[in-house]
Amino acid sequence: MSYPLVRKRVIDWLDDQYHFGDAEKLIRNDEASFLDGGVLDSLGFVQLCLFLEKTYRFKIDRKSLTRENFDSLGKIVRYVIGHKDFKGAA
Amino acid sequence: MTPAIVFSPEPLLVERSNLSLFARYWSAKRGASFADNVDLYRESVRDAKGFWNAFVESSGIQLEGDTSVVWEGSTVRDAHFFPNAKLSFAANLLTPQRPAFRTSGGNLQWVDPNDPAVISVDETGRVETLTRRELEERVRRVAQALKDRGIGVGDRIFGLCRLTASTLVAHLATLAVGAIWSSAAPDMGIELLIARAGQIAPRLLFVDATYPYHGLGRDNRERIAEITGRLPTVERVVVLDNHSIQTNGPQVESFSTLLLSPSLSGPFETFSFNHPALILFSSGTTGLPKCIVHGAGGTLLEHLKEHQLHCNVGPGDRVLYHTTTGWMMFNWLVSALAAGAAVVLYDGSVSHPEPDALFRRVSEQGVTVFGTSPAYLQYCRDAGVCPRETLPLNKLRLLLSTGSVLFESLFDWVGENVGNLPIHSISGGTDIVGCFVLGSPNAPVYRGESPAISLGLDVRAAVSTPRGVEIQGLPSEGNITGELVCPTPFPSRPLGLFGDSDGSRFEAAYFSDHLGVWTHGDTIELTSRGTARILGRSDGVLNVRGIRIGPGEIYRVVELFPEVAACCAIEQKAPGEPGGSRMVLLVQMAPGANLSRPLTLKIKKELSTRASAAHVPAAIVQVSDLPKTHNGKLSERAARDAANGEPVKNRSSIKNTACLDEIAVHPDITAARSET
Repeated sequence: MSYPLVRKRVIDWLDDQYHFGDAEKLIRNDEASFLDGGVLDSLGFVQLCLFLEKTYRFKIDRKSLTRENFDSLGKIVRYVIGHKDFKGAA
Repeated sequence: MTPAIVFSPEPLLVERSNLSLFARYWSAKRGASFADNVDLYRESVRDAKGFWNAFVESSGIQLEGDTSVVWEGSTVRDAHFFPNAKLSFAANLLTPQRPAFRTSGGNLQWVDPNDPAVISVDETGRVETLTRRELEERVRRVAQALKDRGIGVGDRIFGLCRLTASTLVAHLATLAVGAIWSSAAPDMGIELLIARAGQIAPRLLFVDATYPYHGLGRDNRERIAEITGRLPTVERVVVLDNHSIQTNGPQVESFSTLLLSPSLSGPFETFSFNHPALILFSSGTTGLPKCIVHGAGGTLLEHLKEHQLHCNVGPGDRVLYHTTTGWMMFNWLVSALAAGAAVVLYDGSVSHPEPDALFRRVSEQGVTVFGTSPAYLQYCRDAGVCPRETLPLNKLRLLLSTGSVLFESLFDWVGENVGNLPIHSISGGTDIVGCFVLGSPNAPVYRGESPAISLGLDVRAAVSTPRGVEIQGLPSEGNITGELVCPTPFPSRPLGLFGDSDGSRFEAAYFSDHLGVWTHGDTIELTSRGTARILGRSDGVLNVRGIRIGPGEIYRVVELFPEVAACCAIEQKAPGEPGGSRMVLLVQMAPGANLSRPLTLKIKKELSTRASAAHVPAAIVQVSDLPKTHNGKLSERAARDAANGEPVKNRSSIKNTACLDEIAVHPDITAARSET
């Protein structure tokens, strides 16, 4: 149940900050690379990281800010849901 | 309370600094020494003509003619520096002379022609190095090519270009033939570009057809075709990166063709000290951007003073300021050549391919003076970048920051994560193509403050007192706060605004708030220790993440939406945002319309496309009314004070004060105040 809610939060944030209504179209599928697809650059990843920390009230270890964890919508959502301090997506 | 000292210079380095040597030179000339740095500053203002005269004599600046008249005219509004002198801006940058204040000791040769002059690096790792000799040879060839194509004195040349060695060559060649240079980064929005370049009627464009950004090559050719189609004065387009492009009219040439020209022979031509050299752009609260014309001599003199005396720059230094060609720090960086340093140009993303990419280039290129912005330092902090642990930075001796207020916490971050080195928060701007406050090699750095005031510049604060507004200089004790003003002549005051034939716009922009006194638009705190702190803008201009934005540029786009009756762009203090502030767009909707999410995104998208990403507000907030003065003029200042939860300074001049109360308590606005 959390996946679609967290996913929507991320999409809304991408629209607010960078893509202004086009984020869904640009992403194509949840496993496509954000960096390769020009969805987000590394400055944007840091901003997203701050947004997720504020929204879900947990800390993200900056060393975990890697392609393996963060380079697609699916990876980001799974990272958030799998975070030890994640308390739900409401 | 005096803030903590976060850096103190070594006494031996103070003893040998350019500033100390210059102070000794000037002391000997005037027959009296200086008690300390603050005394030196006060004297440079009290006897400004004596100061500038001593600096011109001893700095190595190459002027021809009579330099006995330091300035003519009696006010900051009408003074002209060194009216009887001539110079070549290009020659001063290419072949600097040893300063007389450094005559004792050291190598007699000041700058070796085989030393690097420019090291151009991009995010792909490509490095191009030109020695002094090679740079001069290229400049001479391109200068000859420009002359052969009929480009000469007073012609405007516009660069839509990357920060590369080729751009530097084009820039210096423009100066060498007496033409006027103006430039913008390749990714600037088309409407903003036309609003700038269209006003100055350029004859020739230097362009880059492509540019790298974050690992993705971007192609600018379609935009160049559109731009040239909308700039009817452009006769010729020179492609710096030698790609083929199409235009509707202007002749196209590759930069490599210009480099095949014969070399301009003989000494570089000299022009009057106040010859126009640069046009920079600055956005105000209304109307088109101001086209600020800066003179060759005033710009060079101010820059040389800042580099030599305030930053202690000389041969052996490698200076990198992270900038684009659209920011005045490009011009400032280039002038480090005149102090004998090499300049390092970085083109590309600060965080690609590694999060610490920019610091990595600083390390790899042995940069000694690195300039950046609070937004970048904040990014490093947020991204967990710790250059001290991962990179050898043993050559780095000075960090500079400008663009917005450098908060105390970033002084701490630098100390903990970069190293034990001075960080100078410097501030001035496009309007003066230089700094009002900056650093000193001889002064300690206090947490949150700029260590020094620019020598020879009479920086004061217009302070509100029970007796009215008083213009006050450095206090004898404590601190004062007010609007930054400068009542006496300084060399990099602009010559005027391009196209402003009767000077009325120039007058209104800088001299109307405090009659006849340069009014800069910043709020400044001055201390008796000779330090300063810039507290933000005092006018309605926005400074978001270090980028200055005129609200007028926002309004021109938003007025395309019939749903919006009126709007007001303000900079709100937001401790949690990069740079400590964010842009909020207050909108008053047309009857029957509401601000929906799709409309919010549509407005943001239009601003991003027609202006730039920096013009997109962090929040768009619907309000029932916007503050207007009794004359019906929108008051951004009043809205800003209300949004910041501060007393509205001009409340008595607002006719609809109820809207200020609505803004002050709006939940979308109050939330940002408490975030850290």
